[in-house]
Amino acid sequence: MSYMDLNLGITKVQKMNRDMVHTFAAEVLRPASLELDKLDPEDVIARESLFWDVFRKGYKIGMHKILLPEIYGGGGFSPLEVHMLFEEISWGSIDFMIAFGVACFPAFIASMVPTDFLIDNIIVPFCEDEEGKIIGCWAITEPDHGSDTLGPFTEQFSDPEIARTACRATLDGDDYVINGTKAAWVSCGTIATHACAYLTIEPEMGMAGGGICVIPLDLAGVSRGKPWNKLGQRALNQGEIYFDNVRVPRDYMIIDEESYEAILDVTLSTANACMGAFFTGVARASYEEALAYCKERVQGGKKLIEHQLVRYKLFHMFKLVEACRAFSRAVVEFNFNTNPPFTHYSIASKVFCTQAAFEVANEAVQLMGGFGLSKESTIEKLFRDARAGLIEDGSNDFLALVAGEAIVNE
Amino acid sequence: MPVFKDTDFMYEVLGKLFTKLLENETVAQKFYNENINVQFVINDPDGEIWLLHGTDKPELALGDTDATGDVIMWLAGDDCHNFWLQKLKLPVALAKRKVKAKGPMAKILGMLPLLKPAYEAYPAICEEYGLPT
Repeated sequence: MSYMDLNLGITKVQKMNRDMVHTFAAEVLRPASLELDKLDPEDVIARESLFWDVFRKGYKIGMHKILLPEIYGGGGFSPLEVHMLFEEISWGSIDFMIAFGVACFPAFIASMVPTDFLIDNIIVPFCEDEEGKIIGCWAITEPDHGSDTLGPFTEQFSDPEIARTACRATLDGDDYVINGTKAAWVSCGTIATHACAYLTIEPEMGMAGGGICVIPLDLAGVSRGKPWNKLGQRALNQGEIYFDNVRVPRDYMIIDEESYEAILDVTLSTANACMGAFFTGVARASYEEALAYCKERVQGGKKLIEHQLVRYKLFHMFKLVEACRAFSRAVVEFNFNTNPPFTHYSIASKVFCTQAAFEVANEAVQLMGGFGLSKESTIEKLFRDARAGLIEDGSNDFLALVAGEAIVNE
Repeated sequence: MPVFKDTDFMYEVLGKLFTKLLENETVAQKFYNENINVQFVINDPDGEIWLLHGTDKPELALGDTDATGDVIMWLAGDDCHNFWLQKLKLPVALAKRKVKAKGPMAKILGMLPLLKPAYEAYPAICEEYGLPT
């Protein structure tokens, strides 16, 4: 189902691209993610799994490079177009959306600091990949560090006591030597070929003393954990990455401790703004499931939509979806066009849209009754997927504190 | 003491640099294809430098114009000098608030690889004008 766009300036080409991605989301991503949801995490990524077929199809049509500049062969989309496409992909499958999103992380961050080395070795090969051979991940969280890795410009971020156990990068000659563990909730962690790793270089600066390093994961000393078994987004691979004296040429350290905190802020702003777009898609998918069901299901001698309370509830869900789109689009358009970004707006979008998506999915389950609880229904998966959104990319509670600090210091 | 002693001197040095950059046909064509006007608003010394889309090829303008900037960058003259010497990375400068920008960031960052001829030319221009490198 499509939606009425309140933006009167949307062009025919933009609508066409949106509709093309919607068709792919409806015919490929949604059915695949429902199938993969039933599997054990190790089976999701097994060689013969449907996951790989879908992943390759996504790469073939460029879903992995939507955020990348055209000059390298990337999508070259405007912020508005990025939002429109992300909403559609997420409508079909938040699992695959996040997988495609993190897959581009090494190339995307490298494109901010495009040295010849990074262009030739990371960015262009990724943009040229049509088979899903180059897969990135955002390796930031650690067993002892989750949301607290996402608090740039807060007091605790510069506290050396907090960074003491962090995954370390130490300069040794022309190489950085990496030691430590990245957490089980690193998306694409066990299937990635490259990590965009956020590491500690100077522990005396606390978490602010970090660096961002693209690490080819076929280097000696890299090993992986088992795919993580979780409540929602089960088609999204997540798992630990271990670094044991991994030597990485210093050209791969694209950001050092001098500018880590500032670039992390840009990363957080971009990621959270995208999450707003993603969960607009999840909210809309949930609303549409409920609406379609209520049009068919008869209770008390009439269709559910003929009951006044059901109409009231559907309106509330519709209102939230529209608010998600309006707010998250505005934030994407503003912060993708503003540097330095106003990160607290990105956080507000992420927190609002994930909460709204969970509320809409929860209400949809309620409207759909016993069927909504059944594994036969799509909403049962959407509900679990939406729940994960309240925690991933920074728990909403923590993010609210970070944004709150930014507001009072403004 | 700023690197550029006054606005006219800054226009002369950076004007020469941008002219050289736009003489590169590949750069000029790619910039033209972007269909945007880039406005640098510089302080210390105060001035404006424009890279305009132009009618059939990109044009350079120094000082006020009637154009509208699709991309606007605010920065100090010294930071401008350090950027062309590659002592200041634009994304880092943006993140650290040394440079502020409005406009499509993907386009701005996408243009960075096109600036190579200017990076190569700037040390010689500095030498010509007795500026520190």
